[in-house]
Amino acid sequence: MKILIVEDEPKTGDYLRQGLSEAGFVADLARTGPDGLHLGVTGDYDLAILDVMLPGLDGWRLLQGLRAEGKQMPVLFLTARDQLEDRVKGLELGADDYLVKPFAFAELLARVRTLLRRGKPKEATDTLRAGDLELDLMRRRVVRSGRRIDLTAKEFALLELLLRRRGEVLPRSLIASQVWDMNFDSDTNVIEVAMRRLRAKIDDDFEPKLIRTVRGMGYVLEEPEPD
Amino acid sequence: MRRPSITLRLTLLFALTSALVLVALGSFLKYAVERHFEQQDLQELTGKLELTRHALGRVHDQAGLDDLPQHLGDALVGHHGLSVTIVDDQGVVWFASAGAHHPRPPVEVLAKAAGDGRIETMTVRMDGRALRCIVARATVGIAGKPPFSVILALDIEHHMAFTRMFDRAIWLSVAIGILLAGLLGWFAARRGLAPLRAMAELAHGISASQLDRRLPTEAVPRELIEPVTAFNGMLSRLEDSFKRLSDFSSDLAHELRTPISNLMTQTQVALAQARSAEAYREILYSSMEEYDRLARMIGDMLFLAKADHGLIVPRRETVDLAAEVAGLFEFYDALAESHGVHLALAGQAAVAGDKLMLRRALSNLISNAIRHTPPEGTISVQIEACGTDRVCIAVGNPGTPIPPEHLPRLFERFYRVDASRQRGGEGAGLGLAITQSIVAAHRGTLTVHSDAERTRFDIVLPRAETSADAGT
Repeated sequence: MKILIVEDEPKTGDYLRQGLSEAGFVADLARTGPDGLHLGVTGDYDLAILDVMLPGLDGWRLLQGLRAEGKQMPVLFLTARDQLEDRVKGLELGADDYLVKPFAFAELLARVRTLLRRGKPKEATDTLRAGDLELDLMRRRVVRSGRRIDLTAKEFALLELLLRRRGEVLPRSLIASQVWDMNFDSDTNVIEVAMRRLRAKIDDDFEPKLIRTVRGMGYVLEEPEPD
Repeated sequence: MRRPSITLRLTLLFALTSALVLVALGSFLKYAVERHFEQQDLQELTGKLELTRHALGRVHDQAGLDDLPQHLGDALVGHHGLSVTIVDDQGVVWFASAGAHHPRPPVEVLAKAAGDGRIETMTVRMDGRALRCIVARATVGIAGKPPFSVILALDIEHHMAFTRMFDRAIWLSVAIGILLAGLLGWFAARRGLAPLRAMAELAHGISASQLDRRLPTEAVPRELIEPVTAFNGMLSRLEDSFKRLSDFSSDLAHELRTPISNLMTQTQVALAQARSAEAYREILYSSMEEYDRLARMIGDMLFLAKADHGLIVPRRETVDLAAEVAGLFEFYDALAESHGVHLALAGQAAVAGDKLMLRRALSNLISNAIRHTPPEGTISVQIEACGTDRVCIAVGNPGTPIPPEHLPRLFERFYRVDASRQRGGEGAGLGLAITQSIVAAHRGTLTVHSDAERTRFDIVLPRAETSADAGT
């Protein structure tokens, strides 16, 4: 997957490229609007991450330029201003998502993956699995090692999210937004407690542990590599 | 365009007023003087006319008529500047008085002399001199003799000269008067506006560090008391806002200093000697948590700053409050359970507002309540219509009462009841301030009551205005 990053702030740009590369993407970095437009038009990218304030050509114009050239890849905007007008303008111009600086890299990564997955068919299955954990979407039942586990509706939704995106580190803000529809920075403690309760039900009495806390980043559900 | 200065306007007003008055007065005087001279002239002329008529009337025969010129000549001798001409019905000059050096009125003016015995008066100019003339018929005492026309002319050049001089004098004094009045106006305006300049000077001296200064109200003229009071009121409000702003900045600096100092110390200690990769990772994680807290604080601060500038404009959608609270209860379910706290919801109502913002406002109150409720306590949220156009939301929890002196300041940024309290999982002390900003942006009110048993936050919001508005 190829990602174009257009960001004029040197450190941010470098770290974004490094972070995305290490997450398994091919990331190219342009530091000015015109360079970004040139790369975006000539290269074949699956996604573009654009800063709004750019030298030479701002993010909005850059997006218009890309669309005018028939480039339809999803675009995620980064901005220091979290003004409503910016958001509206970006979405009107065809931006797909929006992140306000300062943001957590885990959040960016999660959004990038969401955008890249968009438009692709959902796993056409009624059952999500990880190791010996089974989640039956039709009957809303969870079974681990053959033992039925009772979950509340929100716990079920949380586990479904973790399973659908297994292997990805999900930041707390993304979890709050996807499971509880809380789209603002809330007490992150809440997610920790909710996660602890879920783990008590599906992990505490079983081995191996499936849900792992990634400190400072979020949570990930994955089958541990066999040693 | 700039309005002309008050001084200029007053000066012009004074000048114009005095011009009007003086010109009117001058014109009246000129008229009165001219009338006076005319009266005087006519009186004299009429006297001579009567004399002439009388002389003519006394003639009863031709001989008397022949003697008359001599007689008339004698009678009129010594009347300086007066000329008498008598013309017969054929238009022939029958008599002309002595004094040939005086210009005589043209005989044509006779044509004007009407035949009905009226006395015609007129002023004519002859050879550069002004003459006041009267013309009248005079009957001779001889039967069948047609009446003569008598033309009397008085040289009034000396009157005219006086009038001209008088005119000049009047107009000169009018001009001087206007000038003086203008000057006086200018001076009065300058003097009258002196308190304003004094005010300006004082105002110039007021900078951010002297917002406690006020303009004295007792030393200004009565007309200026109102603006000075208004100005002082503005200063008070500015001082208040300024103080809050600077308190806020210093709080902000303080709040930022702690995490930054943590980060610096931690990093410096970490760098002081070589450590294992695991130890470095631990330090980075710890830093990450501090950064996260800082980022969240900055986000909250931005929100509050925008609210202060009126940039938070809530959308207007129908918000089912009970559904929002139920959603929040689900969100806080695990946290409440871990605190051993119960959540209870009663009532329902809808308002027109911004769903996301209202949820955030309520979320802050609920999370605040969970933090301060002892185990086995119950947090209750009560939603009800109060009055016809308002909705009341009460979020109450049992717990230690908040001392009354803290209540008014509870919604201030960074304000904490217990100054020494560790920050722990708690936010930066901005939650209640944000809730209040959101409620205010919805034109509602947020109040708090605390007694020995319960602490209760009350939000009062205007209900969805009209059904037409509610959906938009």
